[in-house]
Amino acid sequence: MQIDFSYRETWLHRGNPALKLLLFVILFVYAMFVHNLDTLVYMTVFHFILLFSFSGHPLRRLLLYMSPFLLIFVSSAVSMALFGKGTTLWFEWGLVSVTKESFLRGIHLGFRALDFAVLGLTFALTTRPVYLFYSLMQQAKLPPKYAYSFMASIRLIPLLLEELQTLRYALKVRGMRRQRGIGGFYRKLKAYAVPLLAQSIRKAQRIAVAMEAKRFSEAKKRTYYYELSVSRIDALAIVAYAAIAAAAIGLSVYAPVFHMTDVRMIG
Amino acid sequence: MITAAGVKQLRLKFPGDESLLFRDLSFAVGEGEKVLLLGPSGCGKSTLLQVLTGIIPGSVEVPMKHEDITIPASWGYVFQDPDTQFCMPFVDEELAFVLENLQVPRREMPERIRHYLELAGLRLDDIHTPINALSQGMKQRLAIASVLALEPNVLFLDEPTALLDPEGTEQVWQTIKNVARSKTVLIVEHKIDRIVDFVDRVVLFDDQGRIIGDGDKNDVFARYKQQLIEYGIWYPGVWDDYSADRALPEAESRMAESGAPLLSLNDFAGYRGKNRKLFIPQADVYPGEWITVVGHNGAGKSTLLLSLMQLIRTTGGYKVQGQDAARINDLASQLAYVFQNPEFQFVTNSVYDEVAYTLRLDRVSETEIAEKTKRLLELFELSGKSGQHPYLLSMGQKRRLSVACAIVKEQPILLLDEPTFGQDARNTFAMLEKLEAWRLQGTAIVMVTHDMEIVERYATRIWTIADGKLASDINAERKRMDEKAAADGAAAGAVGAGGS
Amino acid sequence: MGKGKGLKLADILVTVVIAVVFGIVYKLWGPLYDAAKPFGIRLEELIYGMWFIAGTVAALLIRKPGVALLAEVAAASAELVTGSQYGVSVLLSGVLQGLFAELAFAAFGYRRFTIGVASLAAIGSSAGSLIMDFYNNYITDLSAWNLTLMIGARTIGSIIICGFFAYYLVKALEATGVTKQLRPVSNEDYKALDN
Ligand SMILES: Nc1ncnc2c1ncn2[C@@H]1O[C@H](COP(=O)(O)OP(=O)(O)OP(=O)(O)O)[C@@H](O)[C@H]1O
Ligand SMILES: Nc1ncnc2c1ncn2[C@@H]1O[C@H](COP(=O)(O)OP(=O)(O)OP(=O)(O)O)[C@@H](O)[C@H]1O
Ligand SMILES: [Mg+2]
Ligand SMILES: [Mg+2]
Repeated sequence: MQIDFSYRETWLHRGNPALKLLLFVILFVYAMFVHNLDTLVYMTVFHFILLFSFSGHPLRRLLLYMSPFLLIFVSSAVSMALFGKGTTLWFEWGLVSVTKESFLRGIHLGFRALDFAVLGLTFALTTRPVYLFYSLMQQAKLPPKYAYSFMASIRLIPLLLEELQTLRYALKVRGMRRQRGIGGFYRKLKAYAVPLLAQSIRKAQRIAVAMEAKRFSEAKKRTYYYELSVSRIDALAIVAYAAIAAAAIGLSVYAPVFHMTDVRMIG
Repeated sequence: MITAAGVKQLRLKFPGDESLLFRDLSFAVGEGEKVLLLGPSGCGKSTLLQVLTGIIPGSVEVPMKHEDITIPASWGYVFQDPDTQFCMPFVDEELAFVLENLQVPRREMPERIRHYLELAGLRLDDIHTPINALSQGMKQRLAIASVLALEPNVLFLDEPTALLDPEGTEQVWQTIKNVARSKTVLIVEHKIDRIVDFVDRVVLFDDQGRIIGDGDKNDVFARYKQQLIEYGIWYPGVWDDYSADRALPEAESRMAESGAPLLSLNDFAGYRGKNRKLFIPQADVYPGEWITVVGHNGAGKSTLLLSLMQLIRTTGGYKVQGQDAARINDLASQLAYVFQNPEFQFVTNSVYDEVAYTLRLDRVSETEIAEKTKRLLELFELSGKSGQHPYLLSMGQKRRLSVACAIVKEQPILLLDEPTFGQDARNTFAMLEKLEAWRLQGTAIVMVTHDMEIVERYATRIWTIADGKLASDINAERKRMDEKAAADGAAAGAVGAGGS
Repeated sequence: MGKGKGLKLADILVTVVIAVVFGIVYKLWGPLYDAAKPFGIRLEELIYGMWFIAGTVAALLIRKPGVALLAEVAAASAELVTGSQYGVSVLLSGVLQGLFAELAFAAFGYRRFTIGVASLAAIGSSAGSLIMDFYNNYITDLSAWNLTLMIGARTIGSIIICGFFAYYLVKALEATGVTKQLRPVSNEDYKALDN
């Protein structure tokens, strides 16, 4: 999201942001209805490959962003793997009962979470928020009131981080001392959360006033500094992701690894 | 004359306040007039500008009524706070936002963006620069550029230069003078030296929000001098009148530098993130000194104070009253601090609690707190506001409150970051007198300011910060005496020459 | 002027900004939730409710129709554009959770903003989140005790966080005076102009 770090622009960046959002929503819904573990694994792997090849960001940054992925995988898989229903019992210990079905279902959930995470990262790394909202105004008829509110809040994020810093300073300057224990934690939370929110509300109000002072509300129609349209690149993106989906299905039929056509409880 | 903006019989009251801010106020500006609104801090100047543009009640609902109102068809407003007037992350996008509102075709935009930036004197290599990377002065210029992009007939300027260094102030006013020649202009400003020659009409308000004088500027300054003094409003020459009234203490009492230093710095450096933004090879601060810190916007003055307060990472030697500063965990009991942005200072929900806060932390008895707080609030003309939330004060009131709550504990060392900006004359003098009284008792003051009058009249020493370094450390008394001697010498020389 | 229906620019901007602040909290909440999960006894579900808080807080503050939904969607969008570990799914979660919270406030005609209504909104959001989990996480395939524990913990946690905590947070914000300008001016204040 940070706007100033550099990356190489690829075709994924040049696609229409609103259309890309729609494409990713469809992919997400699709992934939700994939119950074949092999299909899902192949699909996720391809999505990873696409991210690595065309995100345009350096490898180190990608790896940094992906550092929590293992945790995501484990955490998504664990409940189902340990406590899911199933018939082929592998292991039992108290409440824990690992069955073949529940274990594979857990793995499936882990991969699904990974797939969402990869797609989410791909979207975030290849879409500049300002373009997304301009595009949503132009292609999806999002009312400007909403779009500019979003863009203004994006500008506010660094200011709010500064604000947090300032609050720390203020409390120190005013002589608040270190506090311990639950009570101290609560007071500290209150000392930060309330002023931070209050300040952001105030800033938002002042910005709204400034925007209206620049004739924002009077404009019935508007022109756009960034004119975004749908192009052939979007067709490329759609074809690429559709091809991945098709290839995943094909591979799951001809080269299955888990032999699990539907991870849901059968019977 | 055609009215460009005006209101008749305006009544306005903020919810929860006891009294009306305006009671049957009528005010009008003719087309092409350049008007300066002058009045004590908190009298309602900013509020009036917002009424005249329809911001109140259009964007901010405040109970009000009036008989007749003329809101200009096309107007632009430069707000007091540079950080909350932008809604887009980049300079070009911010200006484009205005152009979009006016439905300027896309292909004309880049050229017009460049044009308005040029007009406002904001020179950038790349118009696609993040706004967060601009200094205060540059932001204020961007605000002016985006207002100019509206091509307004009427300009409303609410202290647009409060935070700028003298050079920046000069440039911004020059810009405004250049672009606003043919426009109607309403200006609210306390420091009037640089704009007096631009305006032709001055309107005076008293502390109740009533108009007490209105007319040609020379006329007003001559005829209403008594009122100007009574309500403590800035006027040309006020400093000379003030110091004529009240002689500053004799030079020798201002030469302190005795005893052990309160602060001593040695190869002292302050960091913003990883970058060293401040370096001081060697400096000491003694009891009874009043050090003014001057320098351009972005030079590192605030960084200096933040470093002294140990709010940012520092390296090198730094001793407070002989003790290593890094070892002191309660620095706040020895150093008082006033932030550049007054809002940064506030941690409670009312003016009274704000002043009482530090005392309460020290478990001072409530009766003593009440007495001390009351005295300070009176001194800073905030008595009537004690229940108000600090953020709902006017700009000048916020500033005073931030100073009051910082110094209530009477620490031996005061670090003040522009404590007098946005102040009317009376409050400025009151604050300076209080500080001077403490100084005479041995308090050391380190104060950042852009006001050269204060530097010349009060400083015992002047630190100039340039590019993050202590560029010069001048003994102000010696400088004043040297200048006086030089002047006397010149006069004596002239007499001598005449005599022969 | 203030009384008009629908959301003004200031309402929207304030809602979105609050939502973005919470969106950042939401992002930090993901790893926390994940870290609590491997214990297996559904401890993590007690803190799940944090993901609904933007909706209740915004609705309690601004008290207008549509705010709860907008806040949840905005918080989700903020998460998405800054790179959410849940990907696009946060958007759908946001819509569902916001919608169900909105229904709670709508049921009282946007006239009651008590701790009870806030808790009801919290329960609504939990229900919304369970719909997602039904399709997405096969929760019906969990053993019965685990599922019950999960739903129970999530509901209780969300009542504590989005009902009680949100309510007192907004109370504290009211004390700072910021809400004065968010809410319509009373008629008494207008009458006071006449004396
Ligand atoms: N939102 C608000 N709610 C309540 N009171 C307010 C609000 N805004 C301003 N006031 C009060 O109204 C009065 C006028 O404020 P205003 O900002 O117009 O003063 P000003 O003349 O511009 O002062 P300054 O020179 O210090 O900027 C002040 O006493 C202030 O405390
Ligand atoms: N929070 C920050 N993070 C990083 N750099 C900063 C930060 N604040 C200021 N700087 C940089 O540090 C330098 C010194 O800034 P500082 O605020 O000390 O200037 P100043 O002399 O107080 O200026 P002004 O008169 O505008 O207040 C500037 O180059 C500025 O860009
Ligand atoms: Mg003002
Ligand atoms: Mg500064």
